[in-house]
Amino acid sequence: MKKIAKEKLALLWELLAHKATLYFPLQEDGAVNFAPWKNGAQVDFGVNSIVPPKNVFFPQAETYLRFKTGAKRLQLESVEPEEKFILFGVRPCDLASFNILDKIFLEEPTDGLYAKRRRLGTLVSMGCNEPGETCFCTSFALEPAFAPGADVMVWDMGEFLLWEPRSTKGEALTAVINELLDEAAPEETAAAVRLRDTTAAGEAAAARQRGWNTEGLQEALRGKFNDELWEKLYHRCLGCGICTYLCPTCHCFDIQDFSRDLEGERFSCWDSCMFAEFTLMTSGENPRPTQKERVRQRFLHKLLYFPSKFGLYACVGCGRCVRKCPVHLDITQVIKEAGGVVSGS
Amino acid sequence: MKQLSEILKEVAFGSLSSGEAEMVIGWQKGPFWWQSFPAFITDPGGTGSLIWDPFSVSNLSKYLLKEVPEKKIALFLKGCDALGFNQMLRDGRVDREKVLLFGIPCDGLVDPARVEAAGLSKGLLQVKKEQEELIFYYKKGQRKAPARDFYYAKCLSCRYPNPVIYDQMLGEAVPCQPVERFADVSKLETTPLEERFSYWSRHFSRCIRCFACRNVCPACSCRECIFDLAEPRWLGKANELSETQFYHITRAYHVAGRCVDCGECARICPVGIPLAELNRKFIKDINELYGEYDAGADLDKEAPLLTFKTDDPDVSSGS
Repeated sequence: MKKIAKEKLALLWELLAHKATLYFPLQEDGAVNFAPWKNGAQVDFGVNSIVPPKNVFFPQAETYLRFKTGAKRLQLESVEPEEKFILFGVRPCDLASFNILDKIFLEEPTDGLYAKRRRLGTLVSMGCNEPGETCFCTSFALEPAFAPGADVMVWDMGEFLLWEPRSTKGEALTAVINELLDEAAPEETAAAVRLRDTTAAGEAAAARQRGWNTEGLQEALRGKFNDELWEKLYHRCLGCGICTYLCPTCHCFDIQDFSRDLEGERFSCWDSCMFAEFTLMTSGENPRPTQKERVRQRFLHKLLYFPSKFGLYACVGCGRCVRKCPVHLDITQVIKEAGGVVSGS
Repeated sequence: MKQLSEILKEVAFGSLSSGEAEMVIGWQKGPFWWQSFPAFITDPGGTGSLIWDPFSVSNLSKYLLKEVPEKKIALFLKGCDALGFNQMLRDGRVDREKVLLFGIPCDGLVDPARVEAAGLSKGLLQVKKEQEELIFYYKKGQRKAPARDFYYAKCLSCRYPNPVIYDQMLGEAVPCQPVERFADVSKLETTPLEERFSYWSRHFSRCIRCFACRNVCPACSCRECIFDLAEPRWLGKANELSETQFYHITRAYHVAGRCVDCGECARICPVGIPLAELNRKFIKDINELYGEYDAGADLDKEAPLLTFKTDDPDVSSGS
């Protein structure tokens, strides 16, 4: 394992920025979000981003086709991403969300733009030193301080970052910055292993104490489509899109055109099952006529439908929706009330 | 003297068991210290779960647009909520006969972010307020601090801590010492145009179009909102800065003269857009042009943007 001293980080950013677009959690007006780094930007690894980094692969709006008419025939031009990029400082929960998005966008029919961006991107994940109050990634068999899918795994050890390449892409990136890296001492490597263990154990203990457990959850939810739980929950929902747009795994989208005169573009854009018009049909019929059906859909999609189809929950326990829902419609409470088995009790 | 939270449970129980109300809207507590959320109770036996604590910030009156009673709905209103309720009343969106209002005097509520910023949130189990102090409870021991240090910004500039409309007031009126609410707007007004434009562009470029600001707003009470229409699609679904500006500016114009400055839009914005500054710019302009007007409070005054006078300052002299 390698390490890099913190005073060399500015050099590291410069070096990496020459190689590819560099996405970092950047602080602006007190809000931390992933954005392309430029000199003077304030990198902040202290808290996870407000908006998850899914938008790097699955942008909120993305033009994929330009069209023009007026000549003899319609002219079409497809738009494709070309730029290599490095996504630096992704937390293990968010990194795991990419596996979930892959199930949607990389299965046939493949989303070409998403697939290309997955190929162009190198993922540098940063382990969490201290899981937040609303974190529950361990409930989904994830680790706060380790991301198996990362190209490079880094840990903030105070004076330095530990640096571990974990894939061919990660090795290639490491070769580029090798001059800035030192060999980590065995006791330093051991500290990272300890950090993995203590963060995972701490978070799991907190989750147990709060009664969050996903064991048996799918079975418990299977018979709950008409349960009074949804009736109880939905009244307070404001019908805003905070939970879905801040969710690293929500992936519903719409296709729209923007056109003027004889030309325009076709784009895909995020959509939210919380919005009344999400399932509104041309006829005026809406199969999810009230917020009750919409709230039920959000939770059942994540905790029952998606795992039934793909074998894994569409939630990584990042806690953003728990923290940011203005009326505290809390997925951990849904898990608890729906009757996931609490292990060890 | 009885605790307000006890009185609140009693009146809720009373109004349901007597049959006067068919539903009570109050607040309940979630598992986290900062989670107090709207609760809808129809069974008198359920009223024991209702609470009043330093986090009971949600405005319950907006739910009157969705929860339409056959008889009556009883609900609790703080000062800011009462202004919003009045505006909905004035906009013809609620029926005064169908609600039973319990007023709650409130001198401010606690912003969890300030508790976190002060380093007090780790292992925190509960926060209680006693007189002017907050007590923070941990597994081992407790800490005390002045409550006002942790209040939401919107609470520090509150001018109506005591509800201006109610059927029954629960508790003694509280005094208020509001800080100047137009300070930020005045500062913005003096910055050069380009700087102001880049200030708002920077903030709006963070907008994720979740529409929480609209959905929580008591002045946003249209049955159908233009931003939801697919045909014609006034607001494009691409998250482009120009579209986002169109959304926010249109929203601010539409609530101008009706915004009660409750600050809920800014409070719940997930990305921290200072929407209150935009709303207050309109309020300040209206005050300066047409005379002081407090939407939600001045029910006897004519609404300045809904009336026309030949001597209005913006009427051309015709020369």
